Amino acid sequence: MTTEEKREEILKKLRDAVIQYDEDVAKEAAQEALDAGLDANDAIFNGLVNGMEEVGRLFEAQEYFVPELLMCADALYAGLDILKPHVKKLDLGIKGSVVIGTVEGDVHDIGKNIVKMMFDVAGFDVYDLGKDVPLDRFVEEQMKTDSDLVCLSAMMTTTMVGMKKVIDSIKARNPNVKIMIGGAPVSQDIAEKWGADGYSPDANNALKDAINMISSLKKLKEEAEEKKGS
Amino acid sequence: MDDNLMTSRDRVLKLFAGEAIDRLPCFSGMGNVTTEGLRKFNYKFAEVHSDAKMMADSAASTYKLFGFECAVVPFDLCVEAEALGCEINVYSHAEDILYPTIKTKLINNAEEMDINLPSNIPSRGRIPMMREVIGLLKNDVGSDVAVGAHVLGPFTLAGQIMELNSLLKSSFKKPDKVARLLDLLADAIILIAKEYESAGADYITVREMGATSDVLSPRVFKSLILPHLKKIFAELSINNILHICGKTNDIALFMVESGARAISVDQKNDVAETRKKIGPDVLLFGNYDPYNILVSGTTDQVMATVRECINNGVNAVWPGCDIWPTVPAENFHAMMDEVKRYRRE
Repeated sequence: MTTEEKREEILKKLRDAVIQYDEDVAKEAAQEALDAGLDANDAIFNGLVNGMEEVGRLFEAQEYFVPELLMCADALYAGLDILKPHVKKLDLGIKGSVVIGTVEGDVHDIGKNIVKMMFDVAGFDVYDLGKDVPLDRFVEEQMKTDSDLVCLSAMMTTTMVGMKKVIDSIKARNPNVKIMIGGAPVSQDIAEKWGADGYSPDANNALKDAINMISSLKKLKEEAEEKKGS
Repeated sequence: MDDNLMTSRDRVLKLFAGEAIDRLPCFSGMGNVTTEGLRKFNYKFAEVHSDAKMMADSAASTYKLFGFECAVVPFDLCVEAEALGCEINVYSHAEDILYPTIKTKLINNAEEMDINLPSNIPSRGRIPMMREVIGLLKNDVGSDVAVGAHVLGPFTLAGQIMELNSLLKSSFKKPDKVARLLDLLADAIILIAKEYESAGADYITVREMGATSDVLSPRVFKSLILPHLKKIFAELSINNILHICGKTNDIALFMVESGARAISVDQKNDVAETRKKIGPDVLLFGNYDPYNILVSGTTDQVMATVRECINNGVNAVWPGCDIWPTVPAENFHAMMDEVKRYRRE
Protein backbone atom coordinates (compact mmCIF):
# COMPACT_ATOMS: atom_id res chain seq x y z
CA MET A 1 0.00 0.00 0.00
CA THR A 2 1.02 3.57 -0.44
CA THR A 3 0.57 6.83 1.44
CA GLU A 4 -2.46 9.00 0.72
CA GLU A 5 -0.14 11.78 -0.34
CA LYS A 6 1.61 9.60 -2.91
CA ARG A 7 -1.77 8.34 -4.16
CA GLU A 8 -3.05 11.88 -4.67
CA GLU A 9 0.13 12.80 -6.49
CA ILE A 10 -0.15 9.90 -8.93
CA LEU A 11 -3.87 10.44 -9.52
CA LYS A 12 -3.23 14.10 -10.32
CA LYS A 13 -0.47 13.13 -12.73
CA LEU A 14 -2.83 10.74 -14.53
CA ARG A 15 -5.57 13.34 -14.63
CA ASP A 16 -3.30 16.09 -15.93
CA ALA A 17 -1.77 13.79 -18.55
CA VAL A 18 -5.22 13.23 -20.02
CA ILE A 19 -6.17 16.92 -19.89
CA GLN A 20 -2.85 17.98 -21.41
CA TYR A 21 -3.03 15.11 -23.94
CA ASP A 22 0.41 13.81 -23.01
CA GLU A 23 0.61 10.11 -23.86
CA ASP A 24 4.13 9.68 -22.47
CA VAL A 25 3.25 11.12 -19.08
CA ALA A 26 0.06 9.03 -19.00
CA LYS A 27 2.11 5.85 -19.52
CA GLU A 28 4.68 6.92 -16.96
CA ALA A 29 2.02 7.74 -14.36
CA ALA A 30 0.16 4.49 -14.99
CA GLN A 31 3.37 2.54 -14.36
CA GLU A 32 4.05 4.59 -11.22
CA ALA A 33 0.56 3.75 -10.00
CA LEU A 34 1.21 0.04 -10.39
CA ASP A 35 4.70 0.28 -8.85
CA ALA A 36 3.32 2.15 -5.85
CA GLY A 37 0.68 -0.54 -5.34
CA LEU A 38 -2.32 1.63 -6.21
CA ASP A 39 -5.53 -0.19 -7.04
CA ALA A 40 -5.84 -0.17 -10.85
CA ASN A 41 -9.51 0.75 -10.63
CA ASP A 42 -8.70 3.68 -8.40
CA ALA A 43 -6.09 4.89 -10.90
CA ILE A 44 -8.49 4.54 -13.84
CA PHE A 45 -11.55 6.15 -12.32
CA ASN A 46 -10.04 8.77 -10.04
CA GLY A 47 -7.14 9.52 -12.35
CA LEU A 48 -7.79 8.97 -16.05
CA VAL A 49 -11.59 9.25 -16.05
CA ASN A 50 -11.45 12.21 -13.73
CA GLY A 51 -9.23 13.90 -16.33
CA MET A 52 -11.64 12.99 -19.10
CA GLU A 53 -14.49 14.55 -17.12
CA GLU A 54 -12.55 17.80 -17.10
CA VAL A 55 -11.92 17.40 -20.85
CA GLY A 56 -15.69 17.05 -21.30
CA ARG A 57 -16.16 20.30 -19.43
CA LEU A 58 -13.53 22.05 -21.55
CA PHE A 59 -15.23 20.71 -24.67
CA GLU A 60 -18.57 21.98 -23.50
CA ALA A 61 -17.07 25.40 -22.74
CA GLN A 62 -15.65 25.38 -26.29
CA GLU A 63 -12.11 25.62 -25.03
CA TYR A 64 -11.39 22.20 -26.50
CA PHE A 65 -12.56 20.95 -29.90
CA VAL A 66 -12.48 17.58 -31.61
CA PRO A 67 -8.71 17.45 -32.32
CA GLU A 68 -7.95 18.09 -28.63
CA LEU A 69 -10.55 15.51 -27.64
CA LEU A 70 -8.92 12.89 -29.86
CA MET A 71 -5.51 13.60 -28.39
CA CYS A 72 -6.87 13.40 -24.83
CA ALA A 73 -8.45 10.06 -25.74
CA ASP A 74 -5.06 8.82 -26.98
CA ALA A 75 -3.52 9.77 -23.63
CA LEU A 76 -6.32 8.03 -21.77
CA TYR A 77 -5.85 4.84 -23.79
CA ALA A 78 -2.09 4.99 -23.25
CA GLY A 79 -2.68 4.86 -19.48
CA LEU A 80 -5.57 2.44 -19.74
CA ASP A 81 -3.56 -0.12 -21.73
CA ILE A 82 -1.11 -0.37 -18.84
CA LEU A 83 -3.67 -0.39 -16.05
CA LYS A 84 -6.41 -2.55 -17.51
CA PRO A 85 -4.68 -5.96 -17.20
CA HIS A 86 -4.55 -5.30 -13.44
CA VAL A 87 -8.23 -4.54 -12.97
CA LYS A 88 -10.13 -7.13 -10.96
CA LYS A 89 -13.49 -7.75 -12.61
CA LEU A 90 -16.14 -5.75 -10.83
CA ASP A 91 -19.30 -7.44 -9.76
CA LEU A 92 -21.78 -4.64 -10.03
CA GLY A 93 -24.86 -6.73 -10.55
CA ILE A 94 -25.27 -5.33 -14.06
CA LYS A 95 -24.11 -7.04 -17.18
CA GLY A 96 -22.82 -4.04 -19.07
CA SER A 97 -22.36 -5.15 -22.65
CA VAL A 98 -22.85 -2.95 -25.65
CA VAL A 99 -22.94 -3.26 -29.42
CA ILE A 100 -21.72 -0.08 -31.11
CA GLY A 101 -21.13 1.10 -34.67
CA THR A 102 -21.91 3.71 -37.34
CA VAL A 103 -24.71 2.86 -39.74
CA GLU A 104 -24.23 1.81 -43.34
CA GLY A 105 -23.44 4.73 -45.62
CA ASP A 106 -21.59 6.57 -42.87
CA VAL A 107 -17.82 6.28 -42.74
CA HIS A 108 -17.32 8.75 -39.88
CA ASP A 109 -16.47 7.02 -36.63
CA ILE A 110 -14.93 9.66 -34.39
CA GLY A 111 -18.00 10.24 -32.22
CA LYS A 112 -18.56 6.52 -32.01
CA ASN A 113 -14.96 5.91 -30.96
CA ILE A 114 -15.16 8.45 -28.17
CA VAL A 115 -18.31 6.87 -26.80
CA LYS A 116 -16.71 3.44 -27.16
CA MET A 117 -13.73 4.62 -25.16
CA MET A 118 -15.94 5.53 -22.24
CA PHE A 119 -17.54 2.10 -22.31
CA ASP A 120 -14.09 0.51 -22.46
CA VAL A 121 -13.05 2.49 -19.42
CA ALA A 122 -16.21 1.54 -17.59
CA GLY A 123 -15.40 -2.12 -18.07
CA PHE A 124 -18.30 -2.88 -20.41
CA ASP A 125 -17.89 -5.68 -22.90
CA VAL A 126 -17.81 -3.65 -26.10
CA TYR A 127 -18.67 -5.22 -29.44
CA ASP A 128 -17.46 -2.61 -31.90
CA LEU A 129 -18.79 -3.25 -35.39
CA GLY A 130 -16.80 -0.32 -36.82
CA LYS A 131 -18.14 2.04 -39.46
CA ASP A 132 -20.37 1.70 -42.52
CA VAL A 133 -22.10 -1.27 -40.88
CA PRO A 134 -24.95 -2.96 -42.79
CA LEU A 135 -28.13 -2.62 -40.74
CA ASP A 136 -28.67 -6.37 -40.29
CA ARG A 137 -25.28 -6.70 -38.61
CA PHE A 138 -26.48 -4.71 -35.61
CA VAL A 139 -29.45 -7.00 -35.17
CA GLU A 140 -27.35 -10.15 -35.59
CA GLU A 141 -24.64 -8.98 -33.20
CA GLN A 142 -27.13 -8.00 -30.52
CA MET A 143 -28.80 -11.41 -30.75
CA LYS A 144 -25.46 -13.20 -30.74
CA THR A 145 -24.03 -11.35 -27.74
CA ASP A 146 -27.31 -10.76 -25.92
CA SER A 147 -26.08 -7.21 -25.21
CA ASP A 148 -28.26 -4.88 -23.18
CA LEU A 149 -27.34 -1.75 -25.08
CA VAL A 150 -26.99 -0.95 -28.78
CA CYS A 151 -25.43 2.37 -29.79
CA LEU A 152 -25.94 3.64 -33.32
CA SER A 153 -24.14 6.62 -34.75
CA ALA A 154 -24.70 8.69 -37.89
CA MET A 155 -22.79 11.81 -38.77
CA MET A 156 -24.91 13.24 -41.54
CA THR A 157 -28.54 13.88 -42.38
CA THR A 158 -27.98 11.68 -45.41
CA THR A 159 -27.11 8.65 -43.28
CA MET A 160 -29.20 8.88 -40.15
CA VAL A 161 -32.45 7.60 -41.60
CA GLY A 162 -31.13 4.02 -41.69
CA MET A 163 -31.12 4.01 -37.89
CA LYS A 164 -34.90 3.79 -37.74
CA LYS A 165 -34.85 0.40 -39.44
CA VAL A 166 -32.30 -0.98 -36.99
CA ILE A 167 -34.31 0.26 -34.02
CA ASP A 168 -37.51 -1.33 -35.36
CA SER A 169 -35.78 -4.56 -36.19
CA ILE A 170 -34.03 -4.96 -32.84
CA LYS A 171 -37.05 -3.91 -30.78
CA ALA A 172 -39.25 -6.33 -32.69
CA ARG A 173 -37.07 -9.24 -31.65
CA ASN A 174 -36.06 -8.09 -28.21
CA PRO A 175 -38.08 -5.22 -26.71
CA ASN A 176 -35.87 -5.06 -23.59
CA VAL A 177 -32.75 -3.89 -25.40
CA LYS A 178 -31.86 -0.27 -24.77
CA ILE A 179 -30.96 1.71 -27.87
CA MET A 180 -28.96 4.92 -27.86
CA ILE A 181 -28.56 6.93 -31.04
CA GLY A 182 -26.15 9.76 -31.67
CA GLY A 183 -24.50 11.99 -34.21
CA ALA A 184 -24.74 15.57 -35.40
CA PRO A 185 -28.13 15.45 -37.20
CA VAL A 186 -30.02 13.44 -34.58
CA SER A 187 -32.46 15.14 -32.21
CA GLN A 188 -34.45 14.20 -29.10
CA ASP A 189 -37.50 14.48 -31.29
CA ILE A 190 -36.16 11.94 -33.80
CA ALA A 191 -35.04 9.60 -31.01
CA GLU A 192 -38.56 9.63 -29.57
CA LYS A 193 -40.29 9.26 -32.92
CA TRP A 194 -38.10 6.34 -33.86
CA GLY A 195 -38.40 4.61 -30.49
CA ALA A 196 -34.82 4.96 -29.26
CA ASP A 197 -34.26 5.00 -25.49
CA GLY A 198 -31.56 7.63 -25.49
CA TYR A 199 -29.84 10.05 -27.79
CA SER A 200 -26.87 12.37 -27.99
CA PRO A 201 -26.94 15.13 -30.59
CA ASP A 202 -23.17 15.50 -30.92
CA ALA A 203 -19.84 14.23 -29.68
CA ASN A 204 -20.09 16.62 -26.78
CA ASN A 205 -23.33 15.15 -25.49
CA ALA A 206 -22.32 11.60 -26.34
CA LEU A 207 -19.35 12.13 -24.12
CA LYS A 208 -21.56 13.60 -21.41
CA ASP A 209 -23.99 10.69 -21.65
CA ALA A 210 -21.16 8.23 -21.47
CA ILE A 211 -19.72 10.07 -18.49
CA ASN A 212 -23.13 10.01 -16.83
CA MET A 213 -23.26 6.28 -17.33
CA ILE A 214 -19.84 5.93 -15.82
CA SER A 215 -20.70 8.26 -12.97
CA SER A 216 -23.68 6.10 -12.12
CA LEU A 217 -21.44 3.08 -12.45
CA LYS A 218 -19.03 4.70 -10.01
CA LYS A 219 -21.90 5.22 -7.63
CA LEU A 220 -22.93 1.60 -7.91
CA LYS A 221 -19.37 0.60 -7.26
CA GLU A 222 -19.19 2.75 -4.14
CA GLU A 223 -22.47 1.33 -2.90
CA ALA A 224 -21.26 -2.21 -3.54
CA GLU A 225 -18.11 -1.49 -1.59
CA GLU A 226 -20.03 0.09 1.27
CA LYS A 227 -22.17 -3.01 1.53
CA LYS A 228 -19.09 -5.18 1.54
CA GLY A 229 -17.60 -3.03 4.28
CA SER A 230 -20.60 -3.06 6.58
CA MET B 1 -45.96 40.98 -58.19
CA ASP B 2 -46.91 38.16 -60.50
CA ASP B 3 -44.50 35.22 -60.44
CA ASN B 4 -44.69 35.01 -64.24
CA LEU B 5 -42.86 38.27 -64.72
CA MET B 6 -39.56 36.83 -63.65
CA THR B 7 -38.19 33.34 -64.26
CA SER B 8 -36.56 31.47 -61.41
CA ARG B 9 -33.28 31.75 -63.27
CA ASP B 10 -33.57 35.56 -63.54
CA ARG B 11 -34.50 35.79 -59.89
CA VAL B 12 -31.46 33.81 -58.74
CA LEU B 13 -29.00 35.54 -61.08
CA LYS B 14 -30.31 39.00 -60.16
CA LEU B 15 -29.97 38.10 -56.50
CA PHE B 16 -26.28 37.30 -57.04
CA ALA B 17 -25.86 40.48 -59.07
CA GLY B 18 -27.39 42.56 -56.31
CA GLU B 19 -30.30 43.69 -58.50
CA ALA B 20 -33.94 44.10 -57.46
CA ILE B 21 -36.08 40.95 -57.38
CA ASP B 22 -39.82 40.45 -56.94
CA ARG B 23 -39.49 38.00 -54.02
CA LEU B 24 -36.91 35.79 -52.36
CA PRO B 25 -36.04 32.66 -54.34
CA CYS B 26 -36.25 29.18 -52.84
CA PHE B 27 -33.32 27.14 -54.09
CA SER B 28 -30.27 25.20 -52.97
CA GLY B 29 -26.58 24.74 -53.62
CA MET B 30 -26.69 21.15 -52.46
CA GLY B 31 -28.39 17.93 -53.41
CA ASN B 32 -32.15 17.98 -53.78
CA VAL B 33 -33.05 14.84 -55.70
CA THR B 34 -36.30 13.28 -54.45
CA THR B 35 -37.65 9.75 -54.45
CA GLU B 36 -40.69 11.17 -56.30
CA GLY B 37 -38.36 12.36 -59.03
CA LEU B 38 -36.51 9.03 -59.17
CA ARG B 39 -39.82 7.16 -59.34
CA LYS B 40 -40.92 9.24 -62.31
CA PHE B 41 -38.03 7.78 -64.33
CA ASN B 42 -37.93 4.45 -62.51
CA TYR B 43 -34.31 5.09 -61.51
CA LYS B 44 -32.56 3.54 -58.52
CA PHE B 45 -30.66 6.06 -56.39
CA ALA B 46 -27.49 3.94 -56.56
CA GLU B 47 -27.53 4.17 -60.38
CA VAL B 48 -27.84 7.92 -60.90
CA HIS B 49 -24.33 8.86 -59.74
CA SER B 50 -22.43 7.42 -62.66
CA ASP B 51 -24.73 8.00 -65.65
CA ALA B 52 -24.92 11.50 -67.13
CA LYS B 53 -28.47 11.29 -68.45
CA MET B 54 -29.84 9.69 -65.31
CA MET B 55 -28.16 12.28 -63.10
CA ALA B 56 -29.43 15.15 -65.26
CA ASP B 57 -32.99 13.77 -65.39
CA SER B 58 -33.05 13.33 -61.62
CA ALA B 59 -31.60 16.77 -60.93
CA ALA B 60 -34.12 18.52 -63.18
CA SER B 61 -37.08 16.64 -61.72
CA THR B 62 -37.21 18.62 -58.47
CA TYR B 63 -37.89 21.78 -60.45
CA LYS B 64 -40.33 20.04 -62.76
CA LEU B 65 -42.30 18.38 -59.96
CA PHE B 66 -42.24 21.05 -57.28
CA GLY B 67 -41.03 24.27 -58.88
CA PHE B 68 -37.83 24.26 -56.78
CA GLU B 69 -35.82 27.08 -58.33
CA CYS B 70 -32.61 25.32 -59.39
CA ALA B 71 -31.08 22.14 -60.73
CA VAL B 72 -28.04 21.03 -58.75
CA VAL B 73 -25.45 18.30 -59.27
CA PRO B 74 -23.84 16.04 -58.13
CA PHE B 75 -25.76 14.23 -55.37
CA ASP B 76 -22.74 12.82 -53.56
CA LEU B 77 -19.57 14.23 -52.00
CA CYS B 78 -17.02 11.96 -53.65
CA VAL B 79 -16.42 13.45 -57.10
CA GLU B 80 -13.26 15.38 -56.19
CA ALA B 81 -11.75 12.59 -54.09
CA GLU B 82 -12.42 10.14 -56.91
CA ALA B 83 -10.67 12.44 -59.39
CA LEU B 84 -7.68 12.45 -57.03
CA GLY B 85 -7.56 8.65 -57.04
CA CYS B 86 -9.93 7.35 -54.34
CA GLU B 87 -12.22 4.44 -55.03
CA ILE B 88 -15.87 4.99 -54.16
CA ASN B 89 -18.72 2.78 -52.98
CA VAL B 90 -22.15 3.53 -54.49
CA TYR B 91 -23.89 0.74 -52.53
CA SER B 92 -25.34 -0.76 -55.71
CA HIS B 93 -27.00 -3.53 -53.64
CA ALA B 94 -29.08 -1.05 -51.64
CA GLU B 95 -32.80 -0.66 -52.17
CA ASP B 96 -32.79 2.26 -49.71
CA ILE B 97 -31.15 5.62 -50.14
CA LEU B 98 -27.45 5.36 -49.36
CA TYR B 99 -25.11 8.10 -50.51
CA PRO B 100 -21.77 7.06 -52.06
CA THR B 101 -18.76 7.02 -49.75
CA ILE B 102 -14.99 6.69 -50.12
CA LYS B 103 -13.75 3.10 -49.94
CA THR B 104 -10.02 3.64 -49.69
CA LYS B 105 -8.11 6.66 -48.43
CA LEU B 106 -5.07 8.03 -50.24
CA ILE B 107 -3.41 9.11 -46.99
CA ASN B 108 -3.51 6.87 -43.93
CA ASN B 109 -1.36 8.86 -41.52
CA ALA B 110 0.57 12.10 -41.09
CA GLU B 111 3.69 10.58 -42.67
CA GLU B 112 1.91 10.13 -45.99
CA MET B 113 0.73 13.73 -46.35
CA ASP B 114 3.31 14.87 -48.88
CA ILE B 115 1.30 13.98 -51.97
CA ASN B 116 1.29 15.56 -55.40
CA LEU B 117 -1.80 16.25 -57.49
CA PRO B 118 -2.36 14.13 -60.59
CA SER B 119 -1.58 16.20 -63.68
CA ASN B 120 -4.83 15.61 -65.59
CA ILE B 121 -7.56 16.21 -63.02
CA PRO B 122 -10.18 17.50 -65.51
CA SER B 123 -10.11 14.19 -67.36
CA ARG B 124 -10.16 11.93 -64.30
CA GLY B 125 -12.98 10.13 -62.49
CA ARG B 126 -16.40 11.60 -63.10
CA ILE B 127 -15.27 15.16 -63.95
CA PRO B 128 -15.88 14.72 -67.73
CA MET B 129 -19.27 13.18 -66.94
CA MET B 130 -20.13 16.11 -64.68
CA ARG B 131 -19.47 18.47 -67.61
CA GLU B 132 -21.85 16.42 -69.69
CA VAL B 133 -24.51 16.48 -66.93
CA ILE B 134 -24.30 20.26 -66.65
CA GLY B 135 -24.66 20.55 -70.44
CA LEU B 136 -27.73 18.29 -70.41
CA LEU B 137 -29.30 20.34 -67.62
CA LYS B 138 -28.66 23.59 -69.48
CA ASN B 139 -30.50 22.20 -72.51
CA ASP B 140 -33.33 20.74 -70.49
CA VAL B 141 -34.19 23.40 -67.89
CA GLY B 142 -31.42 25.98 -68.25
CA SER B 143 -33.65 28.76 -69.52
CA ASP B 144 -36.05 28.36 -66.56
CA VAL B 145 -33.76 27.75 -63.60
CA ALA B 146 -30.17 28.39 -62.61
CA VAL B 147 -27.94 25.32 -62.80
CA GLY B 148 -25.76 24.81 -59.74
CA ALA B 149 -22.88 22.53 -58.87
CA HIS B 150 -20.98 21.96 -55.67
CA VAL B 151 -17.41 21.15 -54.70
CA LEU B 152 -15.94 20.36 -51.31
CA GLY B 153 -13.84 22.84 -49.40
CA PRO B 154 -10.15 21.94 -48.93
CA PHE B 155 -10.43 20.68 -45.34
CA THR B 156 -13.53 18.61 -46.06
CA LEU B 157 -11.85 17.17 -49.14
CA ALA B 158 -8.78 16.40 -47.03
CA GLY B 159 -11.12 14.47 -44.72
CA GLN B 160 -12.29 12.42 -47.71
CA ILE B 161 -8.83 11.46 -48.92
CA MET B 162 -7.08 11.20 -45.53
CA GLU B 163 -7.89 9.16 -42.45
CA LEU B 164 -9.99 11.67 -40.50
CA ASN B 165 -8.63 11.01 -37.00
CA SER B 166 -5.16 11.58 -38.28
CA LEU B 167 -6.13 14.75 -40.18
CA LEU B 168 -7.80 16.27 -37.12
CA LYS B 169 -4.89 15.54 -34.83
CA SER B 170 -2.43 16.77 -37.45
CA SER B 171 -4.32 20.05 -37.72
CA PHE B 172 -3.15 20.56 -34.16
CA LYS B 173 0.21 18.81 -34.08
CA LYS B 174 1.45 19.48 -37.62
CA PRO B 175 -0.39 22.55 -38.93
CA ASP B 176 2.34 23.29 -41.50
CA LYS B 177 1.94 19.91 -43.16
CA VAL B 178 -1.84 20.25 -43.14
CA ALA B 179 -1.57 23.75 -44.61
CA ARG B 180 0.54 22.40 -47.47
CA LEU B 181 -2.03 19.70 -48.18
CA LEU B 182 -4.92 22.19 -48.07
CA ASP B 183 -3.11 24.52 -50.43
CA LEU B 184 -2.69 21.67 -52.90
CA LEU B 185 -6.33 20.65 -52.56
CA ALA B 186 -7.43 24.26 -53.05
CA ASP B 187 -5.71 24.13 -56.44
CA ALA B 188 -7.59 20.93 -57.32
CA ILE B 189 -10.89 22.48 -56.23
CA ILE B 190 -10.28 25.59 -58.33
CA LEU B 191 -9.55 23.41 -61.37
CA ILE B 192 -12.73 21.39 -60.90
CA ALA B 193 -14.91 24.44 -60.22
CA LYS B 194 -13.60 26.00 -63.44
CA GLU B 195 -14.54 22.86 -65.34
CA TYR B 196 -18.09 23.19 -64.03
CA GLU B 197 -18.14 26.88 -64.87
CA SER B 198 -16.98 26.36 -68.45
CA ALA B 199 -19.55 23.56 -68.84
CA GLY B 200 -22.22 26.17 -68.16
CA ALA B 201 -22.99 26.11 -64.42
CA ASP B 202 -24.52 29.34 -63.10
CA TYR B 203 -23.26 29.05 -59.54
CA ILE B 204 -20.99 26.93 -57.38
CA THR B 205 -21.27 26.08 -53.71
CA VAL B 206 -18.08 25.31 -51.81
CA ARG B 207 -19.03 22.95 -48.99
CA GLU B 208 -16.59 23.17 -46.10
CA MET B 209 -18.66 21.42 -43.46
CA GLY B 210 -15.63 19.57 -42.08
CA ALA B 211 -14.42 22.85 -40.60
CA THR B 212 -17.57 23.63 -38.63
CA SER B 213 -17.18 24.88 -35.07
CA ASP B 214 -18.63 21.56 -33.90
CA VAL B 215 -15.25 20.15 -34.91
CA LEU B 216 -12.60 22.88 -35.14
CA SER B 217 -12.11 25.97 -33.03
CA PRO B 218 -12.78 29.37 -34.66
CA ARG B 219 -9.12 30.12 -33.98
CA VAL B 220 -7.96 27.14 -36.05
CA PHE B 221 -10.56 27.98 -38.69
CA LYS B 222 -9.06 31.41 -39.07
CA SER B 223 -5.41 30.35 -39.10
CA LEU B 224 -5.59 27.04 -40.96
CA ILE B 225 -8.75 26.98 -43.12
CA LEU B 226 -9.58 30.56 -44.08
CA PRO B 227 -6.42 31.31 -46.12
CA HIS B 228 -7.23 28.43 -48.50
CA LEU B 229 -10.87 29.44 -48.84
CA LYS B 230 -9.71 32.95 -49.71
CA LYS B 231 -7.46 31.51 -52.37
CA ILE B 232 -10.36 29.59 -53.91
CA PHE B 233 -12.85 32.46 -53.96
CA ALA B 234 -10.25 34.87 -55.35
CA GLU B 235 -9.91 32.52 -58.33
CA LEU B 236 -13.60 31.95 -59.05
CA SER B 237 -15.47 34.36 -61.29
CA ILE B 238 -18.67 32.27 -61.32
CA ASN B 239 -21.37 33.13 -58.72
CA ASN B 240 -20.30 31.36 -55.55
CA ILE B 241 -21.41 30.42 -52.08
CA LEU B 242 -19.52 29.19 -49.03
CA HIS B 243 -21.56 26.63 -47.09
CA ILE B 244 -20.74 25.39 -43.61
CA CYS B 245 -23.22 23.46 -41.47
CA GLY B 246 -23.43 23.03 -37.73
CA LYS B 247 -22.34 25.73 -35.31
CA THR B 248 -21.31 28.71 -37.42
CA ASN B 249 -22.26 31.85 -35.48
CA ASP B 250 -18.70 32.28 -34.20
CA ILE B 251 -17.17 31.96 -37.67
CA ALA B 252 -19.79 33.89 -39.68
CA LEU B 253 -17.50 36.89 -40.09
CA PHE B 254 -14.64 34.67 -41.25
CA MET B 255 -17.03 33.10 -43.77
CA VAL B 256 -17.71 36.58 -45.15
CA GLU B 257 -13.99 37.36 -45.09
CA SER B 258 -13.39 34.33 -47.35
CA GLY B 259 -14.56 36.47 -50.25
CA ALA B 260 -17.49 34.23 -51.17
CA ARG B 261 -20.33 36.05 -52.94
CA ALA B 262 -22.83 34.52 -50.48
CA ILE B 263 -22.62 32.51 -47.28
CA SER B 264 -24.84 29.56 -46.43
CA VAL B 265 -25.65 28.19 -42.98
CA ASP B 266 -27.94 25.53 -41.54
CA GLN B 267 -30.59 25.35 -38.84
CA LYS B 268 -28.00 25.31 -36.04
CA ASN B 269 -27.09 28.89 -36.92
CA ASP B 270 -28.97 31.69 -35.18
CA VAL B 271 -29.64 33.59 -38.40
CA ALA B 272 -31.07 36.73 -36.81
CA GLU B 273 -27.85 37.07 -34.84
CA THR B 274 -25.72 36.35 -37.91
CA ARG B 275 -27.61 38.95 -39.92
CA LYS B 276 -26.91 41.55 -37.24
CA LYS B 277 -23.25 40.61 -37.20
CA ILE B 278 -22.61 40.62 -40.96
CA GLY B 279 -24.77 43.65 -41.76
CA PRO B 280 -27.60 44.06 -44.26
CA ASP B 281 -25.64 43.82 -47.50
CA VAL B 282 -23.98 40.40 -47.35
CA LEU B 283 -25.91 37.66 -49.13
CA LEU B 284 -26.99 35.09 -46.53
CA PHE B 285 -28.68 31.85 -47.58
CA GLY B 286 -30.30 29.39 -45.24
CA ASN B 287 -31.27 27.94 -42.90
CA TYR B 288 -34.19 25.71 -43.66
CA ASP B 289 -34.11 22.40 -41.74
CA PRO B 290 -34.12 19.83 -44.57
CA TYR B 291 -35.12 16.82 -42.50
CA ASN B 292 -36.83 17.62 -39.21
CA ILE B 293 -39.10 20.17 -40.87
CA LEU B 294 -39.21 19.52 -44.61
CA VAL B 295 -39.40 15.73 -44.42
CA SER B 296 -40.94 14.97 -41.06
CA GLY B 297 -42.75 18.21 -40.18
CA THR B 298 -46.42 19.02 -40.75
CA THR B 299 -47.36 21.37 -43.59
CA ASP B 300 -48.07 24.04 -40.97
CA GLN B 301 -44.56 23.66 -39.61
CA VAL B 302 -43.19 23.69 -43.15
CA MET B 303 -44.86 27.04 -43.84
CA ALA B 304 -44.03 28.56 -40.45
CA THR B 305 -40.36 27.71 -41.00
CA VAL B 306 -40.39 29.55 -44.33
CA ARG B 307 -41.69 32.66 -42.56
CA GLU B 308 -39.15 32.25 -39.78
CA CYS B 309 -36.20 32.03 -42.20
CA ILE B 310 -37.42 35.08 -44.08
CA ASN B 311 -38.10 37.14 -40.96
CA ASN B 312 -34.69 36.27 -39.55
CA GLY B 313 -33.10 37.88 -42.57
CA VAL B 314 -32.06 35.33 -45.20
CA ASN B 315 -31.77 36.41 -48.86
CA ALA B 316 -32.91 33.02 -50.10
CA VAL B 317 -34.95 30.28 -48.48
CA TRP B 318 -32.38 27.54 -48.80
CA PRO B 319 -32.09 24.12 -47.14
CA GLY B 320 -29.24 23.80 -44.65
CA CYS B 321 -28.06 20.55 -46.24
CA ASP B 322 -28.99 18.06 -48.96
CA ILE B 323 -32.74 17.53 -48.96
CA TRP B 324 -33.50 14.02 -47.75
CA PRO B 325 -35.06 12.36 -50.84
CA THR B 326 -38.18 10.96 -49.18
CA VAL B 327 -39.59 14.47 -48.70
CA PRO B 328 -43.40 14.27 -48.98
CA ALA B 329 -44.79 16.05 -52.05
CA GLU B 330 -47.29 18.07 -49.98
CA ASN B 331 -44.49 19.43 -47.82
CA PHE B 332 -42.40 20.45 -50.81
CA HIS B 333 -45.41 22.21 -52.39
CA ALA B 334 -46.23 23.90 -49.08
CA MET B 335 -42.71 25.28 -48.83
CA MET B 336 -42.77 26.65 -52.39
CA ASP B 337 -46.28 28.11 -52.01
CA GLU B 338 -45.37 29.88 -48.80
CA VAL B 339 -42.20 31.38 -50.31
CA LYS B 340 -44.29 32.77 -53.18
CA ARG B 341 -47.01 34.10 -50.89
CA TYR B 342 -45.16 35.47 -47.89
CA ARG B 343 -43.47 38.88 -47.61
CA ARG B 344 -41.11 39.88 -44.81
CA GLU B 345 -42.76 41.55 -41.82
